[in-house]
Amino acid sequence: MSIEGDAGFYRPKKLSDAIRLKKILGDKTLVIAGGTLAVQLLNKYLVEPEAIISLEDLPISYVKVAGRRVEIGATTTVASLLKHRDLPQALAEAARSIHGLALREAATVGGNLMAPAPAGDLATALMALDAEVMLRGSRGARAVPLSKFYRGALQYNIRRDELIYAVRVRRVPGFSAFRKFTAYRYSGPTIASVAVGLDLDRRRIRRAAVSVGGLTTHPYRATAAERVLTGREPSRETFEDAAQRVADGVSITHGLYSEAYLRRLVSALFVRAVEKVMS
Amino acid sequence: MRIRFVLDGYDVEADVKLTDTLFRVLKDRLGVRSVHFGCGEGSCGACIVLVDGKPRYSCLTLAASVDGKKVTTAAGLRVDGELAEIQRAFVEHNAAQCGYCTPGMILVAKALLDQNQNPTDEEIYEALAGNLCRCTGYVPIVEAIKSLARR
Repeated sequence: MSIEGDAGFYRPKKLSDAIRLKKILGDKTLVIAGGTLAVQLLNKYLVEPEAIISLEDLPISYVKVAGRRVEIGATTTVASLLKHRDLPQALAEAARSIHGLALREAATVGGNLMAPAPAGDLATALMALDAEVMLRGSRGARAVPLSKFYRGALQYNIRRDELIYAVRVRRVPGFSAFRKFTAYRYSGPTIASVAVGLDLDRRRIRRAAVSVGGLTTHPYRATAAERVLTGREPSRETFEDAAQRVADGVSITHGLYSEAYLRRLVSALFVRAVEKVMS
Repeated sequence: MRIRFVLDGYDVEADVKLTDTLFRVLKDRLGVRSVHFGCGEGSCGACIVLVDGKPRYSCLTLAASVDGKKVTTAAGLRVDGELAEIQRAFVEHNAAQCGYCTPGMILVAKALLDQNQNPTDEEIYEALAGNLCRCTGYVPIVEAIKSLARR
């Protein structure tokens, strides 16, 4: 095995090499995709790595759409994502909501899955699409539903020798949307976001997924709202009932925004997200 | 480690540490004046450069990662000693007051027009969402960009 590095900086060209490096170099290693999080950790003295593994040369920047199945490589940037016309609606809307050309060139899908609030807009959208996180490690590959990926704040279902190599949506729902609210009109951090994925016809909502970002460190599935929606007719009344349940069961402890405000905000964002399907 | 890259048309070399950001190397090691420190966290855009033609926050880019690449600052846009179109438009529209945000603004403006020759106001504001300006209120900057779209 020969993976060249320079003074601790590695740019492996193969995923298997990257995994091996991560395993060998261990805890004092920083893994970098676009750098929007990792280099911030460095700048703020939150990490002191002895080695850095850059993922930029790995062949995991791609978007594959086949019918209703989508797979996106982990180092795909938001800018690259936006070049595709056939993305699920919620994902396209989340990608467009990421602010500014420079951030879009650095922010990656994989990094966004790991990013804590106020970042993580793509994660919120993908969670409502029932996405799976595709991991590969020295023991092989596995898929973890995104809704089960977060074990706690900055705690992920990922092993020491694993890397996220892609995110997969097995079946894009018939309707999806993403709405977020930021501090300023064209910029500023996300205060809250809501993503919705629905399979429905005029009479019944057959399947519903609702995810919320910004209220907790990582996005969550609003299962109480989903239970209101599933099996009911897609009427204004149904959606307004569900809107009241979007923040159920969540402990909100934000230093800047009141709990009452955030609960009201996510209800309103949910209603905006489903505006088009309210009959 | 030693990195080699092209900076504003010149071949440069620098000895950098593993954890050095591109911003730090440009500013402290190479004496570049056309990047500014505003936040160090990719919010303000004062540090923006182009890396292989794409706008990037230099404060969030590792120096090590630009080895072999082409880095352009606003100072590198001149053609044969003459100001580039985007620079002239900024001058004509009073799009710089204190000038602190300007190098980043100019590069993002250029990147936008390279991708989209006729942006709407909305598209311009969205592209500049990662660049903060405390002086101009953004309007003259947007006007400068729009003036190039009309041509």
